[in-house]
Amino acid sequence: MSEITLITRDGAKLGLAAAPTETVLEAAEAAGLFLPAMCHEGSCGLCAAQVTQGDYALRGGAREAAPDGAIPLCLCMPQSALTVELPYPQSGISHHSVPTRMAEISGISQAGSGAVILTLALRPDPEFGTAADFTPGQYMEVSIPGTEIKRAYSLTNLPNWDGTLEFLIRLQPGGAFSTWLAQTARPGDMLSLRGPVGRFVLDETSPRPRVLVGGGCGFAPLLSMLRHLADFQDMQPTHLIFGANTEAELAVAAPLEDLAAQLPNLTVCCAVWHPEAGWEGFSGTAADALAQYLDGDAGQPDIYLCGPPRLMEAVMRVANERGVPAARIYSEQVQAR
Amino acid sequence: MFCFQCEQTTRGPGGAGCATDKGVCGKDEATADLQDVLIHQLKGIGQYVSRLRGLGVADAPADSFILYGLFTTLTNVNFNRARFVEMIAEAARLRDRLRAAYEAAAKAAGQQPEILAGAAAFAPADNVAGLLAQAKAASVIVGREEVGEDVIGLRALLLYGLKGVAAYAHHAEVLGESRDEIAIGIAHALDVLASNPTDLGGMLEEALALGRLNFKVMETLDAANTGSFGAPSPHAVRTTPVEGKAILISGHDLRDLHELLEATKGTGINVYTHGEMLPAHGYPKLREYPHLAGNYGGAWQNQQVEFAAFPGPIVMTSNCLIEPQPLYRNRIFTSGPVGWPGIRHVANGNYGAVIQAAQALPGFTKTVEGPALTVGFGREAVLGAAGTVVEAVKSGAIRHFFLIGGCDGAAPGRNYFTEFAEQAPDDTMILTLGCGKYRFNSHDFGTIGGLPRLLDIGQCNDSYSALVIATALAGAFNCGVNELPLSLVVSWFEQKAAAVFLTLLALGVRNVRLGPTLPAFLTPAILDILVSQFGVLPITSAEADIEAALAPRIAAE
Ligand SMILES: Cc1cc2nc3c(=O)[nH]c(=O)nc-3n(C[C@H](O)[C@H](O)[C@H](O)COP(=O)(O)OP(=O)(O)OC[C@H]3O[C@@H](n4cnc5c(N)ncnc54)[C@H](O)[C@@H]3O)c2cc1C
Ligand code: SF4
Ligand code: SF4
Ligand code: FES
Repeated sequence: MSEITLITRDGAKLGLAAAPTETVLEAAEAAGLFLPAMCHEGSCGLCAAQVTQGDYALRGGAREAAPDGAIPLCLCMPQSALTVELPYPQSGISHHSVPTRMAEISGISQAGSGAVILTLALRPDPEFGTAADFTPGQYMEVSIPGTEIKRAYSLTNLPNWDGTLEFLIRLQPGGAFSTWLAQTARPGDMLSLRGPVGRFVLDETSPRPRVLVGGGCGFAPLLSMLRHLADFQDMQPTHLIFGANTEAELAVAAPLEDLAAQLPNLTVCCAVWHPEAGWEGFSGTAADALAQYLDGDAGQPDIYLCGPPRLMEAVMRVANERGVPAARIYSEQVQAR
Repeated sequence: MFCFQCEQTTRGPGGAGCATDKGVCGKDEATADLQDVLIHQLKGIGQYVSRLRGLGVADAPADSFILYGLFTTLTNVNFNRARFVEMIAEAARLRDRLRAAYEAAAKAAGQQPEILAGAAAFAPADNVAGLLAQAKAASVIVGREEVGEDVIGLRALLLYGLKGVAAYAHHAEVLGESRDEIAIGIAHALDVLASNPTDLGGMLEEALALGRLNFKVMETLDAANTGSFGAPSPHAVRTTPVEGKAILISGHDLRDLHELLEATKGTGINVYTHGEMLPAHGYPKLREYPHLAGNYGGAWQNQQVEFAAFPGPIVMTSNCLIEPQPLYRNRIFTSGPVGWPGIRHVANGNYGAVIQAAQALPGFTKTVEGPALTVGFGREAVLGAAGTVVEAVKSGAIRHFFLIGGCDGAAPGRNYFTEFAEQAPDDTMILTLGCGKYRFNSHDFGTIGGLPRLLDIGQCNDSYSALVIATALAGAFNCGVNELPLSLVVSWFEQKAAAVFLTLLALGVRNVRLGPTLPAFLTPAILDILVSQFGVLPITSAEADIEAALAPRIAAE
């Protein structure tokens, strides 16, 4: 057995032991610590962390390292004592296994071109009743019926007691879940879900202004967060940067109008990368819009960032260059590397 | 931030006080600083209210706001920064209105109105960053270098005692009991604090006056509780679940419990008490609701584990709240002065959302039988048995009484109170009060002269009952309280215990043992006064303290 030391983002140290054929993730689960993870096969990137000391082998053989050197803990088998730095605080580690629930499709509707709003009704559960209990920003893993294929989708509505879950899904051409949703799924179908999971949630104890940056389907968790802030009549200044490739993608941002009316301190910037002639809003990427915003009178905001890897990298660069400390950036990536 | 108002405050080589970005209790720097600003404003409001009262003018909304505002700043009550920003704005408007009222009243009385400076003239910034910048000047330790530790310590004792008084007065007020003399006394204490007093003797006098005022407040609260819900009487409380949907209610506010019982009548939902709500079962008009099913869990320190495991929503009506964990964040609700950012607040007795949550959540699936806890030995119940008690003392069956009262800190492994109760000899009787008892109330202490050896008087809010019992016993034995075979052990945790402590001093009760650690704001010089003039005894070990308490008293003490 090798000793493993996990160090969380907030400096907590957790000790474990693992056999040489066991992954760090498996050893942690055996010890009752459930680290963020989803695919368990090294592709979703959710379990990735920095191994700062020790030797390890990767299950399934060596593979190309991620650009930031992070190692998927679902593959990482310690061959000596290991020190692992986790990119989330101790509260990101669950001590309970993630619940699996059944739900029925109650609605599928179009949200502009290429995006769908999927609504589910949870089936009552002996442990959870009908509660849809989650924290805005979290996601569920949804299985395609009759297959082993699972995909993560962020919840866009608010926690509630009647069991309603709402998702905003961008259809990826040729994608497995996207194709099933566009062609096969019908109201009344039953789905299996696992969740809620994820630590991409608001730090409501922070007194700082917030900037929410979302690109592509990264808008989904931000929508739930904004709904939560509106529900609690939040007064902290919040700036939303919504990044879209074309104006057509802005259709999913329709709920923003209502939210802006309820949140007097919310400002919104829709950044369109490739606008048509006549577009009067911001032209450029979400990262460009953030650069412009931080260069203005932005105070010292917390940044919440969600989107595909390319956007995340560009935004991180902008934030780093402007001296925003890493501890004030909360992020989630919504696409496999 | 700087805060040293409770027992669990950070104690380091550089002195005591929570002074980093988060207190031990989880209160963050911005919240702590905004609380300081609000306290500063309340002092200013007290200056005007006090002067208005001097002119014979009462202002009920101002009196209420003072109580509520002070209550929100107690340990483990309100952590919601946004709420403090709102209250600061409200306080500023109130102060302006009071200033105008005072100036008009003075003129009407043919007097030249005073132009008040200091807290009364404070202009809060209109944004959070500005308020945080102003907080330094409103800190409890402002001017420490010039006036010295002792002055700061006595000001803190006054302020923290006052917070406790206000909390008790608020509980009474929501049940419809308020008294002019209480409002006057509280405004006076704020006015004193606003003057930044430096005279130690004068401040000590003010602290004793506050202790006397608190006696009045406790009496009023007792009248409010017993007037609304009847005199507590002994009752065995179920501690195990009953099958069905369930709501848990914690904290001290009996009015909230009553409203919840009314709101859930006929819904099939059972209501369980938690923590300091346990003594509610002693009141006949509360336990007559058949769906007040029992008590669940122990003291407030265990809430993170117990709330997570409870299969329904939870309502927190007053202190002591600790950071809600993700597992139950969406199903815990705050009420009254309590708050946490992102946690839903029940306002105006509207329990609709709580009931909806209870119906959606599974509730208990099985009825379980188990031991019961007996509560409800209020003054009426104990004095009803006074004849038996006096006989038992005279016959030697009861050698001594120990009253273990107050709050308890969260530090695990602190066993003084448990050891004390367990080691107290079989011919002694133990009376409990407040949440210190949870450390040992599941233990079977047996009976003495036909009475249970452990009698629970109630919440820390029921200290009045304990004082009436002590006075009545002294009457029966024809002696003073200090001559009774009675020892008081005060486990202090937060500011309500500070208020009760001042009351004991003001009533001349001597030999009060205070622990588990002494308040950080009491300097050696202040402690010296408390020990030499008031006979206060810091606790040592349970064994030694019991022995000392049972040793024959020296008559000249
Ligand atoms: C934590 C998390 C939260 C997520 N939340 C949401 C959400 O709220 N809404 C949402 O629509 N999606 C969300 N996603 C993405 C979602 O899980 C799927 O990856 C996506 O829907 C594609 O699944 P698929 O089965 O249709 O395509 P796949 O069969 O997985 O992929 C088909 C092809 O499309 C490419 N592809 C996959 N995703 C993208 C993308 N985003 N952009 C460009 N190309 C892509 C793949 O590389 C592949 O070539 C989230 C992902 C994660 C990890
Ligand atoms: S209330 Fe107690 S623990 Fe909280 S900040 Fe103040 S002294 Fe520290
Ligand atoms: S008695 Fe004191 S410490 Fe105990 S719950 Fe009540 S306020 Fe908190
Ligand atoms: S769980 Fe490890 S990469 Fe997906």
